[in-house]
Amino acid sequence: MRPGIGVTGDDAEVARWVGAWIDAMRLEPPAPLSIDVRIVPALGDDGDARTPFLQPAVEIRSGPPDGDVRVRWLPGPARARIAGGALTAVVELGAAALADREALAQTFLSVVLILLLRRAGWHHVHAALARDPRGRDWLIAGNAQSGKSTTAALLATWGWAVGCDDAAFLVRRDAGVEAVAQRAPVALRPAGRALLGLDGGTAARGGRKTVFFPEDLGGTWAPRVEPHIVVFPRIEGDRTSAAPVPAREALAELVRWSAWVVLEPDLAQEHLDLLGALARQARCYRVALAPDVFRHRDLLMELVP
Amino acid sequence: MTRRYRRHPELRLTALEGEGVALHLGTRRYYTVSESGLDLLEALERPRSLEELVAVLTSKYQVTVAVAADTTRAFLDRGVQAGVLLVEERP
Repeated sequence: MRPGIGVTGDDAEVARWVGAWIDAMRLEPPAPLSIDVRIVPALGDDGDARTPFLQPAVEIRSGPPDGDVRVRWLPGPARARIAGGALTAVVELGAAALADREALAQTFLSVVLILLLRRAGWHHVHAALARDPRGRDWLIAGNAQSGKSTTAALLATWGWAVGCDDAAFLVRRDAGVEAVAQRAPVALRPAGRALLGLDGGTAARGGRKTVFFPEDLGGTWAPRVEPHIVVFPRIEGDRTSAAPVPAREALAELVRWSAWVVLEPDLAQEHLDLLGALARQARCYRVALAPDVFRHRDLLMELVP
Repeated sequence: MTRRYRRHPELRLTALEGEGVALHLGTRRYYTVSESGLDLLEALERPRSLEELVAVLTSKYQVTVAVAADTTRAFLDRGVQAGVLLVEERP
C-alpha cells in the first residue's frame, strides 16, 4: 500500500488506474486512507431512504441512522460507501461507468476522495491557492464562474506560486490553518484562455477546457500555503477593486464555498471550526476583477496591501 | 405549562470575534448570528425559558428587561420559524 491513500480492487487494471489518478494529486494525508474498488455486474437498490444532498452528477446520503456516507453517481453505474469512522471507501463500479473515465474521476471519484479525506481531518473548500512574490499566501474562494481559474493562471504567468485552481483542503496546523493543494492543472475555458492570450495547453473535459500546470505558465507549484489573505472574486465592471469583508460575512462566504460542511454531523463541527479559524487568521476581501487586472501585474498586491 | 426552547440537535455553531455562523445540517442552511444571538444560541444548548434567556442578555448587556425581552422574543420567533430552535411545553 502506498503512503497516503492506498488503492485495492478485484480488477488490477482499474485499481492501477485509480491509484495513478490519486498519485498524480500528490496528497499525503496524515492518516492511512484507502479505496477498495470492486467491479460489479449491476448495482442493486441499497434502500437508503435518507434525503440526498445533491451535487453535480452525484447524490450523497449521510448521517443517522447508519452513520455512513454514500455517494451515487447519476450518469452511470457507480456508487461508494464509507462506513462511520472508517478510513476506507468501498467503491462499486459497473462496466459502463468505465466508458468515460475522465468524467468518472472528475465527478464521482473526486467526491469520494473529498469525503474520505475528511476522515483524516482534511476539509474541502472550492478555492485556488497562491503565494505572491512577497511571500504572502492567498486563498481565492468562489464558484466555477467567479474567475478563480483565470486568476490562478494569470498569477502563474506573473511568476507567483500557484497551488490549485479549484480543490483545496483546509488542515489544522498548530494554532492556525493551512491549505493543501490538490496537484491538478489549471483548467481554463476558451474565454479565459483568450483573455490571457495563451497558446498550447492540453485539451480536457471533452475539449471544453484547456489545462496548464503553473510551471507551464511561468509559475511554480505551492503544495501548501498558510492563507493570510482570503479573496472572494467576481468578474465585474471596468476597474478591478477590492473591499474588506467583515469576519462574520467572510465566514458565511467560506461556508458557502465548502458545500460538504453540512454532511456527517460528527465531522461538520470540525469543518465549520476550521472555516472559522481561517476567517480569523486571514484578512478577507471581495475583489471585483476587471480587464485592467490583466495589464497591471502588481494591481492585486496594491489593492490588497 | 412552561414553554422552553432549545437548539435543534442538528445545529452547529462557530464563533468569530464575538459573532458567529450557525449551520443547520438538516436543512443545509446557514445563518450569520450577531453577538447577542450567539449568546442566546449558546445558552440554548439546553432547554431554556424566555425568562432565563432574558437574564442571559441583561447579565451581559446594559439593557432593560423590557428591551431584552423584546429582543429575545423576536430572536426566538425567527429561530422557531427557521427550524433552528425547538419548543417544548411542560407542565
